[in-house]
Amino acid sequence: MEVKTGKNISIKIDRKKFSVPDGITVLEAARLKNIYIPTLCWLENLVPYGGCRLCIVEIKNMRGYPIACTTPVVNKMEVTTNSTGLKTLRREILELILSEHPYTCLVCKDKNDCTEYMHTTRKVSTTTGCNYCANNGDCELQDLVDYLEISDVKYPVTYRGIEPERNNPFYDLDYNLCILCGRCVRICSEERNSEVLAFTQRGDATIVGTAFGESQIEAGCEFCGACIDVCPTGSISEKMGKWVGLPDKSTETTCLFCSVGCTINVNSKGNRIINVGPKTGKRINPPQICVRGKFVPGDIVHHPDRVLNPLIRKGDKWIEASWKEAISFTAGNLKQYVGDKFGMIGSPHDYLEDNYILQKFTRKVMRSNNLDMLSAYPNSKILEQIHKYNNTFPPIELDSIKDTDTILIIGSNGSVSHPIIENRIRKAYRNGTKIIFANPYDNRTSSFSHNALIFKNGEELLLLHTLLSVLLRNKNGEETKNLKLQLQELDFNSACNQLGISASQVNSAVNLISDSKKLLILAGDGILRGSNCIDSFNALYNLQLLQKNPDNCRIMFLLSEGNYYGGTFTGLNPGLLPGFARIDNKKNLKKWSDHLKIKLNNTPGLSRNEMINNIGKDGIESLFVFGDIPGNPDLSGLKFFVQQNMFLTGISKYAHVFFPTTSFLETRGHIINIERKIKKTKQVIKAPGETRTPWKTLSLLAQAMPDEGFKIRNPEDIFKELQSQTDLSFSSNNKLGKTCLPVKLMPFKKGKKHTKKEGLEYNYFHYSGNDLSTLIDDIKKIKKG
Amino acid sequence: MDVKIANTTQSILNKFPQKDKSNLIQILQAVQEKDSFLSPEAIGRISEHLRVSRSYIFGVATFYSQFKFNPPGRHSIRICLGTACHVQGGDFLLNAIKSELDISTGETTEDGKFDLDRVACLGCCALAPVVKIDNTIHSRMSVIKLKEILDGYE
Repeated sequence: MEVKTGKNISIKIDRKKFSVPDGITVLEAARLKNIYIPTLCWLENLVPYGGCRLCIVEIKNMRGYPIACTTPVVNKMEVTTNSTGLKTLRREILELILSEHPYTCLVCKDKNDCTEYMHTTRKVSTTTGCNYCANNGDCELQDLVDYLEISDVKYPVTYRGIEPERNNPFYDLDYNLCILCGRCVRICSEERNSEVLAFTQRGDATIVGTAFGESQIEAGCEFCGACIDVCPTGSISEKMGKWVGLPDKSTETTCLFCSVGCTINVNSKGNRIINVGPKTGKRINPPQICVRGKFVPGDIVHHPDRVLNPLIRKGDKWIEASWKEAISFTAGNLKQYVGDKFGMIGSPHDYLEDNYILQKFTRKVMRSNNLDMLSAYPNSKILEQIHKYNNTFPPIELDSIKDTDTILIIGSNGSVSHPIIENRIRKAYRNGTKIIFANPYDNRTSSFSHNALIFKNGEELLLLHTLLSVLLRNKNGEETKNLKLQLQELDFNSACNQLGISASQVNSAVNLISDSKKLLILAGDGILRGSNCIDSFNALYNLQLLQKNPDNCRIMFLLSEGNYYGGTFTGLNPGLLPGFARIDNKKNLKKWSDHLKIKLNNTPGLSRNEMINNIGKDGIESLFVFGDIPGNPDLSGLKFFVQQNMFLTGISKYAHVFFPTTSFLETRGHIINIERKIKKTKQVIKAPGETRTPWKTLSLLAQAMPDEGFKIRNPEDIFKELQSQTDLSFSSNNKLGKTCLPVKLMPFKKGKKHTKKEGLEYNYFHYSGNDLSTLIDDIKKIKKG
Repeated sequence: MDVKIANTTQSILNKFPQKDKSNLIQILQAVQEKDSFLSPEAIGRISEHLRVSRSYIFGVATFYSQFKFNPPGRHSIRICLGTACHVQGGDFLLNAIKSELDISTGETTEDGKFDLDRVACLGCCALAPVVKIDNTIHSRMSVIKLKEILDGYE
């Protein structure tokens, strides 16, 4: 690519004068000025390839027909994009491309009547039409045939006879339809840095494929689906929504699976989700999405096992009930468990609105502080620390990852937990950002790092202390004196020994960190779900403060689920009221007691694990769970257990009432993502059957209890209440001081066994606790791989 | 993984410590020289070393006809498809042998007895069509004669 000078130059396109930036290509200039030049292989954001030759143009004083996608603009250039000669040539080029692509559907004389009458040459009882391509109507070849007005192809059809591959998860491959534009190969290597697809063989035998023809799983495909989105033909087609036809609606909403909160376009037809990805007619979605965002929504929403009616237990059997019956039954029973006997476990995949009502119901109606989330962090104080940190150093946007010069990734399995962040890291790596990867075991990220510190399991705190103590060697300031004192016992060589890393590796990592001007630290679940998480947090914070310019550095905490931050913010936490207000603080307690018009209890409630471990006498007698609790805990001691979920799961056998719930695409609301941005989501399809959102269930229950203050019409009402009571602009003064936090050195143990993996064994393939690998076969396949 | 292949590949890779992917073809040539073909294991090793995917390496290697992906058989069959041999029915010989041995060009029979490939000219056009088995040139071949000759090999 040419270096952009920022200067504008003047060119002529089709005899009209334009001023365009210097350094762009003729094609980019034409697109900028809304002049259409046909293309097949070109894609925005990818390096120009010049494979299809359809973008040929005429340029004054240039020989032949240069292609617009690779020719840079020059001052006073005169370009013709459309002439009789160009059209003839483009037709010829397209006909040659079509000679290896089944083209009957493209030039069929009846193609205009086809959609209306659906006639076919076969004698069948139904009118099916003769379409044999799953991408009919969403095909760039069809568009180009129309544009170039091709009514016949003079070359015979050459069918390559390649066996279609149907055994891959999520998508089918039929390379008989492939025109070798290379978009999939290029997006896989340039954008996703995955390189699973390559052109193999040569000449007329060329085919897109993997090494030795192995399956996509064996080749290390991460199933991001980018290749499906960019394929201009039907070669790569998604299994979900295949043969369903074109979507009639495309809704832009937010994905909820991980905390990144990507914007996704959900294409639907009627009340059915066809696929997720870019908008129709706009095939590339530059921000990219991942396997969960692309393939899971449709599969769980239309899952055959979904429960669509409320269920009440009668002995061993579930009896379908109406909402009215189920609500009055539940309300009647819950009345007996008001107080500390009651516990509520919400889902980090539900919206702010739902979770706010969850905590309001528990605190106001059930008078209990036993509130937590399904996948709660073992130490919920870490969330408070992260919030304070974000108040001190506002989170950076994902797009700024590329602007950092050094990235330290610690305790993260990013390619699974946060594929989009991993994608940015890989791009940064390719652009020269120094990557230090510290993890107890090798994973995909380590091949995109300059320094991989593979330390012994459970020693992340020691690693951080070792890095700190080496960094401190050259610091003499007053402010680091305390820290030095706290770390003076650390013996460098025995620390390296215990970590299982060579001294030179540690030193080179420290050199990279201390040379950095813009450091980014990514802390994954290996840190956040570790037992030493608070100490690790302090160590990471000190690491940032020891930088030359701490304000340019950031720590990004890779929270696992989509709305975990939001759930905690709305007060779904045993010790926190909405807005991260501590419940043991008098001022907060008074404010919320006044707002809820009750007297709140100032003792923090039980966390998720404490609730489950304290079932029975003097402990928890009644539990309300939204979703499924992973690990199938024994809940037989509960006297009254209510579950609201999409599916009956392992813990449902203990439930007395079961409410069917909506998925995130069947309702609307807000989430708070990793950048601490409030992202709005839209309702894509109508909720099926008798499913209701969590806030609706609880407002019905509260009214039946009865309790005032739960007459809610829509989620906007709840959001307004949340907005009026908390600070959603995050301008709080609750900050960390910019001085080093205390660190706690752990004593060395000789012959220590390093077996536990702590947070790194975490299952990211779940939705509200429901294990996706048991629900969706294709997820099971890729998890095995 | 085949230990021998792993060792030879590693010893070759040690000569390229700079991990620069522009050395790929040189590495592939060196590996093929030692192992006489490119095994999936060797490609896996190279992929780890150069930090490029196996698919990428396979894509590069399959572009060049010099690279083989199957271990050679005990005997190599080379069917000539130069102009003279082609006119005299070299492709009939090729097709017959393909179905007889149930392999295509560039492959080796399951029992490891024969490998099969096509060549452009063996320089004895007057004797067309010719087939070269190991170092022996068999001239004026026919499908029946060729099958008889193949039966004589162990």
